Amino acid sequence: MEIRCWRICLIAVAALLTVGGSAQTVPLSERVVAYRIEGVYNPKTHTLDATEVLTYTNHTGATLDKFPFHLYLNAFQPKSTFMTEAERSGDRDVEKGSGWNDKHFGSNEVKSLEIVGSGDVTRQMKFVSPDDGNANDRTVFEIALPRPLPPNQSVQFRIHFVAKFPEVVARTGYKRDFLMAGQWFPKVGVWWNGAWNCHQFHALTEFFADFGTYDVKLTLPAKWNVGSTGVETGTKDNGNGTQTVSFHAEDVHDFAWTTDPTTKVVEDSIRLSHGTVKIRMLMQPGHMASSARYLNALKGTMRKFDEWIGPYPYAQITVVDPPHGGGAAGGMEYPTLITADTTWWMPKSVLEPEFVVEHEFGHQYWYGMVATNEFENAWMDEGINQYMEAKVMDALYGKATSNVNSRLATDGERGTDRMSYVPVADRDPLSRPAWLFMDGSSYGGITYAKTALMLLTLENLIGEKTVLHGLQVYFDRYKFKHPAPTDFTATMNDATGQNLDWYWKQAIYGTETLDDRILTASSERVDWYNKAEEKKGVTVYYNEVTVDRRGTFDLPVVLEAKFDDGSTVRERWDGKDRWHRFTWEHKAKLVSAEVDPDHGYLLDRDPFNNSWTATANRKASGKLAGYWTLLTQWLEQTLSWLA
Amino acid sequence: MINDRVRSSAGLVWRHQRIVWWIFAVNLLLAWLGSLPVLATLSTVLDHSLESAKLVTGFDIGTFVLLLERPDVSARSLAPGTVGAALIFLVYLLLIDGGVITVYLEDRKLSRAEFFENAGLFFWRMVRLALYSVIPFGLLAAADGGIAGFAGKLSSDAPQERLGFLVNVGSKLVLLLAALFVRLCFDLAQAQVVRDNERGLLRVLWGSLRLAFGSGILFAKYLGVGLFAAVTFAIGIGIWLYLPHSATGASLLVLELVTLTQIASRLWLKAVSARWIALLPLLPETVQEAPARAIEATDVLPE
Repeated sequence: MEIRCWRICLIAVAALLTVGGSAQTVPLSERVVAYRIEGVYNPKTHTLDATEVLTYTNHTGATLDKFPFHLYLNAFQPKSTFMTEAERSGDRDVEKGSGWNDKHFGSNEVKSLEIVGSGDVTRQMKFVSPDDGNANDRTVFEIALPRPLPPNQSVQFRIHFVAKFPEVVARTGYKRDFLMAGQWFPKVGVWWNGAWNCHQFHALTEFFADFGTYDVKLTLPAKWNVGSTGVETGTKDNGNGTQTVSFHAEDVHDFAWTTDPTTKVVEDSIRLSHGTVKIRMLMQPGHMASSARYLNALKGTMRKFDEWIGPYPYAQITVVDPPHGGGAAGGMEYPTLITADTTWWMPKSVLEPEFVVEHEFGHQYWYGMVATNEFENAWMDEGINQYMEAKVMDALYGKATSNVNSRLATDGERGTDRMSYVPVADRDPLSRPAWLFMDGSSYGGITYAKTALMLLTLENLIGEKTVLHGLQVYFDRYKFKHPAPTDFTATMNDATGQNLDWYWKQAIYGTETLDDRILTASSERVDWYNKAEEKKGVTVYYNEVTVDRRGTFDLPVVLEAKFDDGSTVRERWDGKDRWHRFTWEHKAKLVSAEVDPDHGYLLDRDPFNNSWTATANRKASGKLAGYWTLLTQWLEQTLSWLA
Repeated sequence: MINDRVRSSAGLVWRHQRIVWWIFAVNLLLAWLGSLPVLATLSTVLDHSLESAKLVTGFDIGTFVLLLERPDVSARSLAPGTVGAALIFLVYLLLIDGGVITVYLEDRKLSRAEFFENAGLFFWRMVRLALYSVIPFGLLAAADGGIAGFAGKLSSDAPQERLGFLVNVGSKLVLLLAALFVRLCFDLAQAQVVRDNERGLLRVLWGSLRLAFGSGILFAKYLGVGLFAAVTFAIGIGIWLYLPHSATGASLLVLELVTLTQIASRLWLKAVSARWIALLPLLPETVQEAPARAIEATDVLPE
């Protein structure tokens, strides 16, 4: 009997572990929200008719008298803030000035809203536009509570809503039978820093939500493959051509799901420090050639994060491969579910499947667990994650070849980041809210690339291991929390044992740019009045190099000078002036001089003026001009088809 | 039979290879002149910079793009030289077309005076024919743009993932064949104009169109030369890809050989059409106007 009880207990614990979608039994996060959603998906109309029961527990310490909710799918309407901004400035998936396209229509319609115990409050829903006052934007609504909610008490909302998905845009929607359901349900805002934080959906913004649990039941066509945040806990065949699939997720702050009748499921697992993680990939049949590439990149990334940052505590990671034409669903992160990106013809030399999977998995840490406010501090998830992408991709695929590796040309993560950063270097500070950036180029170049380059440059100042250690400490302190920029900088200062505020001030809060250059360099005889012939190794030269600071970003400068007797010197200047002259009296002439000889100041806008050589080397200019000549010849030939 | 004729046209090009070399030399010279501002600009930035090594020992895309992002090295500011060179080359070819076609029609070496006399005599007619050719080539380009847009939509929306790609590639092949056919018509017209000193260009074009439609063998010859050009181009690019990045000289030499082959192939096409026209009987109404150096038929008439 005892043995039987023990076995039952063991089975119950095992079931809890499996059902929970997490290897933890103790909550990892302060679970503020508990969502229970049941819905029926109609693949013909691309709509989901659902009922959501949200239990909100007030851990804020304040008494709450109103609640704001996001209705993200309402962004996909002609007069919304999202679409207006996309039309005016362009978006990842909506071309600037492309006009309204009916296929982009989407909506979240709240049919009824009830506060359990207080009755129906649907009529009291009030749409608000806290960011731009756009009265036509219906992506945020507020509801006042009939009775204020004291601290540590719970309130339950029952919401009947219909989600109409657009043809895939901004990471959500359908393409033929494929559906990627992101931001599909009414989601409560976050009480953060003493106030509700619930921004409208903008063309350049992502999301922000509280941690909690999700129990979702979806009724879909039978035999369609399904993937979701968390884990699948059961499937029931309804006998009418539909199935109802149940999911559970905990200690996550969002829930996304996908379905497609044609995907092929590839399953694998990886053993990490915290235990074994199941890998589930939903692949398009025409993309199977990329499945091994996804898998290798994912496993390599998971190992590196496990080693450098911390354990992945969830039981599963799901990778969704969107179909052709559904690229707008690709390259997106949701808790324990990421979307990848490839094509049937993806060349092996282009590592797009790899870096997309790497990047999106990285978000499990920088967004998923360290859940920063993506509206206001996008650099804290996208940027820090972009830095990690550079680190991981470099480690897995080589520093110079981590993005493109062909015989014809190569490109590394650092090169790609510099390409997008340099043209927009002084447009916006990192600290700017995402929707206030000048445009998409500036948002991408600053939020992603500048942050990565800022941290890579920091490596050169305090060491690679120190920076990684700082991030590890930051992760430990703020996993399952909502840190602000000051939490990041204070933790980095603390963990590295250095006050780096002077650096953060310029790099995060300012638009300072870095461009150090060799202004002049020369070697003159000390006895310049002497008419005797110069003798190598005997004649003493006055060698000087003037370094000029063209940018406004103050950083200490290291200069390396090489002489024609084979000697090399490295000297340091604190960088606290507009220029500095380095001088040496030496029985040798300068051969070359270079600022930042370790090539670590990746924030430098112009690497070409960082060095000087006494002798001209025309190989590069000759090569490029030669190819330019050849291209001109071919253009001539093409035009001559008219003669 | 086709092979014989293609070979005999190739023989024409080979025997008068001076034309190939001259055209190649002018092509190269103009391109070089057009690229001098590029060399000067790049030299200022790269010749004394250690960073330039990344572009010698390999081709680092990031370094190259950063180079182009410098305000003093923008591709837009360097393009005028290239476009200018291309336009001058086109005018040069139109200028010598009359002389070149005469050489291929008569299969003899012309004196410099004879060559340029013919060149000058037919220059404006060649220009007019070139302008006429803009219409069908423009239509083909527009069709290509339209089909590419449609194919792009198919790539996104069609259930079959590769359908858009196949439509795009298939349509491009068809349009290339159409472009080759248009070129054949205009080459025949050029040859006819030169042989018969014909001034009614539209009438000649209409006759050329009928001739091109009626001579499958002639188009097959064009196709053969076109395939030769494509294959040699592919081989050249293949060799170039396997050369190390630092072997700039060898790389450029291979690509110049590719260019030379393309120029020779284009002249081969002209020789094919000129030879075809040379073997046609003179039209009764043009016999009277035909210049004294009218061609004697030396081969069987085309079937």
